[in-house]
Amino acid sequence: MSLYDPERDPVRIAGRWLRWGLAWVGLPLVLGVFVSANLDFRSLPLFGPERMSAVLFLDGQAYFGHLDDSGESGTLLLRDVYYFKTSEGAVTGVPVGLVRRGTEAHEPADGMRINRDRILAIERVGSGSPVAQGVQVERELIHTSPGNLSLNRTTVAGAAALRDQRVAAEHDIARSWTAAVDQLRKLNDLVLPVTKAEADQITEKAMTDLRTVRRNALAALGTEVGMSATDADAYVRATDPLLEGQSFATDVGVLLAPDLDAIVNRATQLYAQVGDAAAKQLTQAKATPAPSPSARP
Amino acid sequence: MHRRRIRDVAIALVLFVAAMLITQWWDFTVPALGRAQYQAVFLTNGQTYFGRYYDRIGAYAKVEDVYYLQQGQATDSSGTTDTRIIRRGHELHEPTSRMLIPKSAILFVEDLTDSSRIAQFMQRDAGR
Repeated sequence: MSLYDPERDPVRIAGRWLRWGLAWVGLPLVLGVFVSANLDFRSLPLFGPERMSAVLFLDGQAYFGHLDDSGESGTLLLRDVYYFKTSEGAVTGVPVGLVRRGTEAHEPADGMRINRDRILAIERVGSGSPVAQGVQVERELIHTSPGNLSLNRTTVAGAAALRDQRVAAEHDIARSWTAAVDQLRKLNDLVLPVTKAEADQITEKAMTDLRTVRRNALAALGTEVGMSATDADAYVRATDPLLEGQSFATDVGVLLAPDLDAIVNRATQLYAQVGDAAAKQLTQAKATPAPSPSARP
Repeated sequence: MHRRRIRDVAIALVLFVAAMLITQWWDFTVPALGRAQYQAVFLTNGQTYFGRYYDRIGAYAKVEDVYYLQQGQATDSSGTTDTRIIRRGHELHEPTSRMLIPKSAILFVEDLTDSSRIAQFMQRDAGR
């Protein structure tokens, strides 16, 4: 009979404990660290609020979107990307406008791979910030589905946020219109090379064109927020008179969703074109007919 | 046998949750003994951020409660500019207080002395 008892063999006992320790202690600890490293407790996957990041570049540019920085490849992946464009002298009251990545001339697909060496900092975007609101309204405008089963849920703006942005865009259009009209009035105060009657005629024509631009901008706004052609027409007829003569000078600037911002910018450009054309007519004297050459000296 | 398995699973679950919580609290920061409360972080693009700097394992360092200097326009004929210290968080994207900075973007980090006017301002502001 052998005296060796495998149950009491210290090497076997140590091996058993080691296997148990690896399976029930080591593995849970490693998994816990791994899961936690890729998890933000303030924004849990599937049911937590959206996690939007701001990636600030060394050159000053900032991009916003869903960040995937789990790889070790030296690049980060940013999806559903938005960024700022400078809009000096903007009527929105905000020095920048929001742009949705993908609308450029080369129409890039979603997913921007960013070299980590070019990054200055990464921050979390506040859920109630103007950037987040602008992005959420844009998603509503382009009919993005909220995507309930996602590791990072996409938040889409509700009716209230959409209405707020629409009203802000209306006020921007009105403010821009007021600026164009003021410019026209200032021109009329100058000593002009045209007669008073001609100046009045040119100004009246410009005012009519400016009103047309405003009405068209409101119609585009109505269509953009999802109104039918009939509803948009009724909306224009109801809203346009309300904006007449209003400057909304004390309004707080609102960062508009890119598609709404584009409508405001287009209206502003057209106002400027109408104003420039009127200014040209007002400040250039009509060419007086030259005396016809005489056959006699 | 069955009870032992339940015990093992319970131990594993407790350890898993504990590891998650500790990791969230730890945030892969490297302990730095004897350092000042606030630091100045000088970046390769010339910008400087002030705040509580933490070295971390991995590609990023962390700065919490970030402030920066903003140069204003000259307000008088002498051309003196108005420099203000701004707490980060009121920008258009209203960032949270935690900022991750790639270590490759950092030139150097300095501790702020207790007598530093910037450190004193940040301390007063944090207490508000």
